[in-house]
Amino acid sequence: RYVRQLQRLQLLFSPTAADARGARQFVEEVALDFARQHPDVVLYVSPRPGPAPLLLAEYLNGTVREELIASKTSEEIAQLATKLAGQSGLDIIRIRKPFHTDNPSVQGQWHPLTNKPSALTVRGPRLQPQ
Amino acid sequence: RSEKPNWDYHAEIQAFGHRLHENFSLDLLKTAFVNSCYIESEEARRRGLGLDKETVVLNLQDNSKLAEQGMSFSRSYLTQCFEGAYPDLPAKGIGALVGFLTSQELVSYVAQNLSIQDLTLCKEFPVPPDVLQRTFFAVIGALLSSSGPEKTGIFVRDFFIPQLIGKDLFEIWEVVNPMGLLVEELTKRNISSPEPRITRQLGVSTVLPLYFVGLYCDKKIIAEGPGETLLAAEEEAARVALRKLYGYTENRRPWDYSKPKQGLAAEKAVSSS
Repeated sequence: RYVRQLQRLQLLFSPTAADARGARQFVEEVALDFARQHPDVVLYVSPRPGPAPLLLAEYLNGTVREELIASKTSEEIAQLATKLAGQSGLDIIRIRKPFHTDNPSVQGQWHPLTNKPSALTVRGPRLQPQ
Repeated sequence: RSEKPNWDYHAEIQAFGHRLHENFSLDLLKTAFVNSCYIESEEARRRGLGLDKETVVLNLQDNSKLAEQGMSFSRSYLTQCFEGAYPDLPAKGIGALVGFLTSQELVSYVAQNLSIQDLTLCKEFPVPPDVLQRTFFAVIGALLSSSGPEKTGIFVRDFFIPQLIGKDLFEIWEVVNPMGLLVEELTKRNISSPEPRITRQLGVSTVLPLYFVGLYCDKKIIAEGPGETLLAAEEEAARVALRKLYGYTENRRPWDYSKPKQGLAAEKAVSSS
């Protein structure tokens, strides 16, 4: 079954700074709907007199991701929040190959002894050319 | 995690229930996370702070009963699953598989990735694996009491059986004498005892020889296995034959995760535990 990997989202913003306007709008309008649509993510809203508005996302495997939301509109913040809600907590690094199989071979991997006549120790009679 | 800012226990527990797509009764779930060492440490701390005797005794119940219920239910359910899926596997093999799935490391790994570590109330941090195991089984016990055996069975199946993907039978079940076991199995099915013969060999006189030994019953081949020495190759061939007999090869049908049609199996599990 699908288990959403996002555990909690902490929205830290300041009630007076100018670049937190999008964050304040988000909290007033969109945050309740977001919380109702994602009942398995705990959303903490904490206004604090800090420097810049931040969106902290904590995942089930322990990784914590911070996103700056200064000077972003509330729709952009909502989009960011849904993007974080769909991610898993794995590190964001370059994926070396876009494909992966657990069963690299279906009929058995080739090794130097496939398709050799049944046993090397058994010698049959030489077939006469007809 | 409860010491860091922004922590609401009730909300976290509700989110936990929603995350697993299960309806829990919240009181049972809260008791499921309470461990006995937590109760002792809390009482000691309150006594140390000098409160009255009434407030010292906490109104919290332990999770030991729920843990036992959960453990016995999951064991019996998993045994039934395996008996249904691999009918030829002997009881010792099934016991080994179930024991591996309910072992401490596996259960604590699953529990950590489901955020149970943040929600347990325990004396030490980070939570030791046996406490995590007990808490996870207590959660399963709470689910059993709140939603019934069918849903709990589906939950156990969804979270434990994918841990078997990619694992070989003999990595989990230690067999000392595969040849003897194979001879027993074949006599049970009234087939004559196997005759080992060398099928292929490469590099006999080098440092890394390779022998392929095939096991023949009534001159028909049942299995073939590679090995460095002749004895190792024979043992490997016996293991391959056992895998084929028990139906646990690499190319078997994957596990069936569709919705169960009868509720009889889960009820049998509850009544037998």
